[in-house]
Amino acid sequence: MNGDLIYLDYAATTPIDARVAEHLFDCRRTRFANPSSNHIAGRESRASIELAARQLAALLNVDPKTLIWTSGATESDNLGIAGGARYRAHRGKHLVTMLTEHKAVTDVFRMLEKQGFDVTWLQPDENGYLDPATFAAALRADTQLASIMYVNNETGVIQDIEAIGSVCREHDILFHVDAAQAVGKILIDLHALPVDLLSLTGHKFYGPKGIGALYLAERPGCHVEPILFGGGQQRQIRPGTLPADLISGLGLAAEIAASRIESDLSHLTELRGTLWEGIRGIAGVLVNGDLERGFPGILSVSVDNVEGESLLLELEPICVATGSACNSQSQEPSYVLRALGRSDLLAQSAIRFSLGRPTQREDVEMAARRYRQAVARLRDLAPGAAA
Amino acid sequence: MSSDPYSPVVRDYFAKALHSGDLADAVTVDIAEQDIRLRLAATEEDGHIRALRFRAWGCPHVIAACECFCGDYEGRPIHSLSGFQASDIMRNLSVPVEKTGRILVLEDAVRSLGRVLCSDSAPQ
Repeated sequence: MNGDLIYLDYAATTPIDARVAEHLFDCRRTRFANPSSNHIAGRESRASIELAARQLAALLNVDPKTLIWTSGATESDNLGIAGGARYRAHRGKHLVTMLTEHKAVTDVFRMLEKQGFDVTWLQPDENGYLDPATFAAALRADTQLASIMYVNNETGVIQDIEAIGSVCREHDILFHVDAAQAVGKILIDLHALPVDLLSLTGHKFYGPKGIGALYLAERPGCHVEPILFGGGQQRQIRPGTLPADLISGLGLAAEIAASRIESDLSHLTELRGTLWEGIRGIAGVLVNGDLERGFPGILSVSVDNVEGESLLLELEPICVATGSACNSQSQEPSYVLRALGRSDLLAQSAIRFSLGRPTQREDVEMAARRYRQAVARLRDLAPGAAA
Repeated sequence: MSSDPYSPVVRDYFAKALHSGDLADAVTVDIAEQDIRLRLAATEEDGHIRALRFRAWGCPHVIAACECFCGDYEGRPIHSLSGFQASDIMRNLSVPVEKTGRILVLEDAVRSLGRVLCSDSAPQ
């Protein structure tokens, strides 16, 4: 990567930890055998996968048998939501989710709507938070599955998964959580949390890309129909030859994350505070989300009278995301920020700073300085600026 | 094929924007369409454009197009403004086709400026 760049887009992806990369490449050389094979090499590959399952299970406090390997969070979301909804379809076809979910979730629900399911789309409050009472009020007798994300990828808002999950348990509803932005970053105890299905991916917590998992709780009525077909691997829920190298890398990344979640959170909290202090004095700047209830690795801000695309270019070489993070080709304002009540212009001006383990205080100080300068210059260029 | 959405010339015009600002005793045109806002200001001398300035709220291509226009048309005859073509500037700056509407707003502003300047300089 260009040495002048300041990378503040860790919510999009993280660099692979050097120890994980070394381990992954070692496994690629030595654990190449098909883990379904019953010879010695196959058993060695299988053993490395079992070790990784124990490492990830320890991070989440679950039984390793509850983990299903996938290609990443998008596939996990698809399998958890579509597979869960279809498994319970004979009981009812009402589903519940939020407007501010990731596309990997919303697009699955839209597909299910076309297949005859009835979806209730919940609106968060202006800070992005879903009141559990609002959630409870949306349930019906035929509600069978709900999906609420843990940490919002654009705003960092953390939902009350425990309260929402408790409501689901009371009504025997399958509860799926997209935790792509949460696993390895905040403490998650699935032994204590009433969650049935949870999606995660390795590359959001310094692991390899192309590997993720779906947690599937062991309780009656909690199961999914497969969405892929072609083999009997992983209890016929998710077929396909398992990549022992990627899985081993994810396992080590999980072990590393487990050992440092609290110190990472402390580091990120301090950095976000420095960043916000550096830009909060700009007239018209506001936080998208909730600093009190948000993951400290994400700070999303909008500012009035500034055009977002020009702001992004003016900020270079700071690497950040815009308010159209997943729609950058279309330039459409973020649907997540629109759901929070932001105007098109404010949503379009949004910049998401996301911080990570390698981020230094100097990086966020530089980012704040560049942001102030960029806003001032673009406002000065605009009609109506003082001569 | 470059993955950079901005050509080097767009980056250069956007970064420098040497013609941004205002002019004293100038003819001005304001326009707000397609989610962009523009102000063009011009002074004239002997039927020619003496100086041009712009203000813009818009994407980098719009700002670069304004800078390009101002730099190109200073010193030209006033009547040349009526021949300004958005397509020329889109080609020169490699503006993506989906931004055609925004550059057409600049074309409207330039032609409007030309009409005002011509009427101001017409014999009384």
